[in-house]
Parts: sequence; structure tokens; C-alpha cells
Amino acid sequence: MITCEEFFDEFADYLESQVSVEVRQELELHLSQCRACHVLYDSATKTIRIVSESNSFELPQNIFDPIIDRVMAKLRSDPS
Amino acid sequence: MAEGASMSFGREARLELESDSVVVFREAFGSIPNLLRAQSALPRVIAAHAKLEEAVSLRDGAISRIHKERILLSIAADRRDNYWIALDTHVLTSLGVPENHIDNLLNDYEHADLLASDLALLEFCLKLSRDTSSVGLEDVEALRARGFGDEAILEAVVLTALAIYRCTLSVALGSEPDFKPRNSPTKTLRGAAAPPTVVSNTRHKSGRRGPYVPAPYLSPATFKPFAVIQKTHGFIPNFFRAQTLRPDLLRAELEAVGSILLPEDVLTRAQKESILLAVSAANLNSYCVAVHCNMLRGLGLSVDDADQIAVDYRLSQLSEADVALLDFAVKLGTRFSEYSPEDAAKLTSFGFTREQILEGAVVTALNNFANTLQMGLGIEPDFEPPSIFEKHKVNPSGGTTTLMRREAVVQVVETSQDADAELVAQAQCGTLAAFEELVRRHSRLIYRALIAILGDAADAQDAMQDTLLSAFKHIAGFQGRSKFSTWLVSIARNAALERLRGRRNTESLDQSDTEEDCKFRPRQIAAWQENPEQSHSRTEIRQLVEKGLLQLPAKYRVIVMLRDVEQLSTDDVARQLGLSVPAVKTRLLRGRLMLREWLSPYLAASCRGAGQ
Repeated sequence: MITCEEFFDEFADYLESQVSVEVRQELELHLSQCRACHVLYDSATKTIRIVSESNSFELPQNIFDPIIDRVMAKLRSDPS
Repeated sequence: MAEGASMSFGREARLELESDSVVVFREAFGSIPNLLRAQSALPRVIAAHAKLEEAVSLRDGAISRIHKERILLSIAADRRDNYWIALDTHVLTSLGVPENHIDNLLNDYEHADLLASDLALLEFCLKLSRDTSSVGLEDVEALRARGFGDEAILEAVVLTALAIYRCTLSVALGSEPDFKPRNSPTKTLRGAAAPPTVVSNTRHKSGRRGPYVPAPYLSPATFKPFAVIQKTHGFIPNFFRAQTLRPDLLRAELEAVGSILLPEDVLTRAQKESILLAVSAANLNSYCVAVHCNMLRGLGLSVDDADQIAVDYRLSQLSEADVALLDFAVKLGTRFSEYSPEDAAKLTSFGFTREQILEGAVVTALNNFANTLQMGLGIEPDFEPPSIFEKHKVNPSGGTTTLMRREAVVQVVETSQDADAELVAQAQCGTLAAFEELVRRHSRLIYRALIAILGDAADAQDAMQDTLLSAFKHIAGFQGRSKFSTWLVSIARNAALERLRGRRNTESLDQSDTEEDCKFRPRQIAAWQENPEQSHSRTEIRQLVEKGLLQLPAKYRVIVMLRDVEQLSTDDVARQLGLSVPAVKTRLLRGRLMLREWLSPYLAASCRGAGQ
């Protein structure tokens, strides 16, 4: 079985589903037998999931209206 | 070749006769081949070639030495390469193969009394050598049906790639044959009727699935060459991973690549990568195009400049001399039958030295080795090739090597797909209402791009104003090379980066990755709750994530924001920020793991409450 160090070397690609079948099998075998790596994998995928689904920095459209209004007023008065 | 017809490649330089690599050739070929003498100015490329020959052709493997020599001779004969015909004939004779059998191989291999399986293997190699894109999974399956195992298939592909490497060198160096060729092909001038290696566009298959042979996992911890390539390239390309069935071949290839490409004493890394990119593009090899675009980006070239070399290097920012170097390499690498010594001689008028021209030829040979091997093994891409290049490739405009001019390509690319196109046209004519509608449409996108870089809401709102003014000022110059929203976001990023650089204690985005970045290891190992989304409200989660993202250093925050919040592909993130894909991958992992560490105390299984 591969070591934790080797698992970690492939971890970035594994999270992005960019490993070959053979490498994936090795990594999954490791995950099934190593608690520390399993915890790391589980929490990392949850991190990605909640970041992707959290709608962070998603503000209501109209919050920018004052800024846009200000810029447009400036452009209308002096389009150069 | 007539003396003085062109230039010689340092023929007068003395070879270190007892060096390991020269000994390899002397033992294999009975004397020191002229082709080697012609490379004496650069002993490291001789060493690279020796490594390849030793591992690939000079020993029995899943394919026997004699079978390998037969294949090498047949490919040389097929390409009318008198230099290698003479040398391979000599080797086969010295291995005890009867002369009449060699004659038959040279004249008509189909009637050379080969076993059906040997004939199938030979034809596979010939097919691959003539047109790399013509080989597909079905050809590999046909070999399996004849009883060839994975190792033999891998060896056959690498051997064919080596044959192409050898023949590219002999065309470039124009060395006199070491032995008198014994048969009719001697009547044919080198390359006179040879089929070009350039692939024909119509036969290119982009949808096939590889790789064709299994690749067991090989760890950089135990297989040192992988650790080295990880350091030099920032990642281990699939090109090498696909050959792990045979670490011996891999080791030789990696050593050859290292001694040809890494030193900067003759041509620069960027010049060599440009050759690899331009010749791969002319060969329509999208795998290698993507790799070398990324390498050039890693060497500091802008995304646009790297893409431009792939699409049409003559219109790129390269100097006149570097364009001439690529003209030389592309002709040698893809239209070898048209190549003449004058092509090399021309380079001297641009100030290139003999050593540089020699190295250019060797890099071209290495490129063709790699292109052949990648297609022969059906190696899957590490990155997306530039979309402009792909567009061009699937809509070829005619001749085999005519690349579309970029202007023509970009116009087809995106305007028709952009819902903003009409408003953009109006705004470009000065209609303020159209501009206003566009920025209202994309204001949230702009804000997210700004906050990602600045990490501060008030700053982001100020930067928004700068962005809108800058967009208005430059909209007339927007040429539809990308979607309007992409363009707008890139204006926003520039505005944010400018602001960031103006800050004291600048958090740099450009700062390169240190050893520590690559070696980052997580500390928190407490298991997380089964379903954090159930034990926390959406608002709580959102606030936690925002806080967590904002405490990340800028160089990680930007990448996590673009990849995970804005859901761009890794490749697009690299493109937007002008970073190489490997650099993005390293920072993405580090950023995600830092965020994970930060969230752990709130979301661990032992912790039930909301984030404080």
C-alpha cells in the first residue's frame, strides 16, 4: 500500500478527479485503511462543497446601484 | 553530403572517446557513427541519445534486439533515410541476419517471410511513424489479439519514437553514412519520396480514449526521477505517468529530457519550449501543445503570447531571430523531405552559433519523439489545450501545415455565443444606456472578482468605481476575443491588483511558490460532522466561509475564490491570472487545506454549535 506522503502527493489531482484509474485505486485502497487520510479527505471535500454552495459574497443586485448611478452621472456629465 | 554545401556541425570538435556514451555507441555500432561526431560540440546531447539507445533499442526486452533492429531498419527505409539504412543494415548483419533477408526487408517487407505476428508489429510501427494520428485503440487491440502483451506494445511505441528521433537528427546533421548502403534505396536521395510526418487534419481523432497500456502507480518517493520532474515541471505530466509499466524506459527518457532541455548554456529554456510548442502545433498534437503552452507560461510568457506561438508563431511577439529558429525547427520536424542544409545555414545569418543550431535540431528530434510516443500510447491531456488552437485544429483551412492566422480565428471564436454582443456594439458607438445596462447585468460578477483579490468590502466598492470607469474608457478596444463578461472581469482584476500593489505590506499574487507551499501538511485531524449543512443555518455557513476566505493570504484566496466560489476550471484560473496550471494546482490545494483548517474547529464532529 502507498504511504500517507505518497497519498498527499496525489491529493490535489484526486480532489480534482484528475488521476488515472490505477492511481485512483491505490488512493482509495489507502483511504480505506488510513484513518488520518480519510479524515483529511472527508473534511477537504466537505470544505469544497460548502464553499461552492455557500453563495459567498453574493450580494443583492441593487446594492451596487448607488455606485453605478454615481459612475453613470459622471460619464453623462463628462463622457471623455 | 558535399563539403561546404552548407554548414557542418562542429565536425572538427574532438569527441571524448572514452566517455560512457561514446562507448555505448562504439560497442553497438562497431565504430563511432558520423552522426555522433557531428554532435561532438554538445556532449550532453550525445549522452542523452546514448541513454535512449541503451534502454530502448540495444537490449532484448519484450521485443528481442533483432526484432527491434528490423523495425528500425524498416522505418529508416520507409523514410528513405540512407544514413540509418546503412547503419542498421550493418548492425543486423553483425547480429547474424542473412544478407538476403535484409535485402528483402529493404525492398518489400511484406514478402520477407516474416511471421504473421512480426509483420503485424512491423506494420503497426510503420503506421505510427508515418502518421502519428492514424494509430488508435483498435490498432493496439489488434496487436493484443496477435499475442503481444502491454510491455511489448509499450516498447514498440517507444522504439518507433526513437526511430523518428534518429531520422530527424540524420536529416538535420546530413552526416555521411558510416557504411556503404547495400541496396536500392541508396539510389534514392534522402527524403526524396518520403511521406511527411505531419499528420493530416482529416484523420485526427480527438475523441478516442487512452492510455492504451496500464500504468501502475509509481511514487516520487521511491522513483527518484519522478521527484526530479516534479521539481522541474511542477507536476508529473501524464506523458511520463503513462509509461510506469517500464521504469527503465522512463528513467532513460527523463535523463534524456533533463540533459537536452534543462541546461541554458546554449539555447534558453524559453527558446527550447517555443520549438517544442511550435513543432507540436504543426504536428497538431494537442497534448504536447497544452504542456508546452503551460511550460512557457511558467517561464513568464503571457497566456496570449504562448497561445499565439501555438496558433501562428510568425505573428507572435518573438524576435525575428527566434521566428527564424522556429521556421527551421518546424520545417525539420514536419516537412523533412523539403529540408535542406541551407535552412540551418540561414540561421547563422541571424547570429545563431553552430551549437545553438545543433541544439535546435536535437530539441526538434526530441519533440518528434514525444509527439510520436504520446499518440502511440493515447496519453490523455494534463490540461486543456488553448481553445483557439483547438478551434483551428478541428476546422482546418486547407494545407497540412497552414495554420490559421489568429485574427481569423478569434473572430469565429466567441462573438456569436455572447448574449451581450448587441449591447456591446451599441456601447462601443457611445450609447451610454447600453453601457449602463451591461454593467448592471454584471455588477455582482465584478464585485466577486474584486473582493476575491482585495479581501475587503469597502475597498472592493471603491475598486468597482475604478473598474466601471476603466471599462468605459477601453470598451472601444474590446475586440470580442473573449466573452464580454470575461473581459469586464479581467478589467476588474487589473483594477484590484493595482490597488493591492499600492497597499503597504503588499500581499503579492505573483510571489512564487516556496518549498514550504509545496510541503504544506494539514495539522487538524479531527473528524468533521457528517453533514455540517444540517447543524448550521445557511447564513452561519456563509458567514463562516466568508470569514475563512478573507483570512487567507491573497495568493491562495484568489485561487480558491475563482475555482470554488466562481467555479472556473483550473485552466481558466491559470489563464485569468497568468499563472501556470501546476502553480494554480499547488496554491489551490494549499488554500483549500488552510480553509479546512480554519473551519475545522467549527465543523468538527465534537462541536455542535454555530461558529462564534
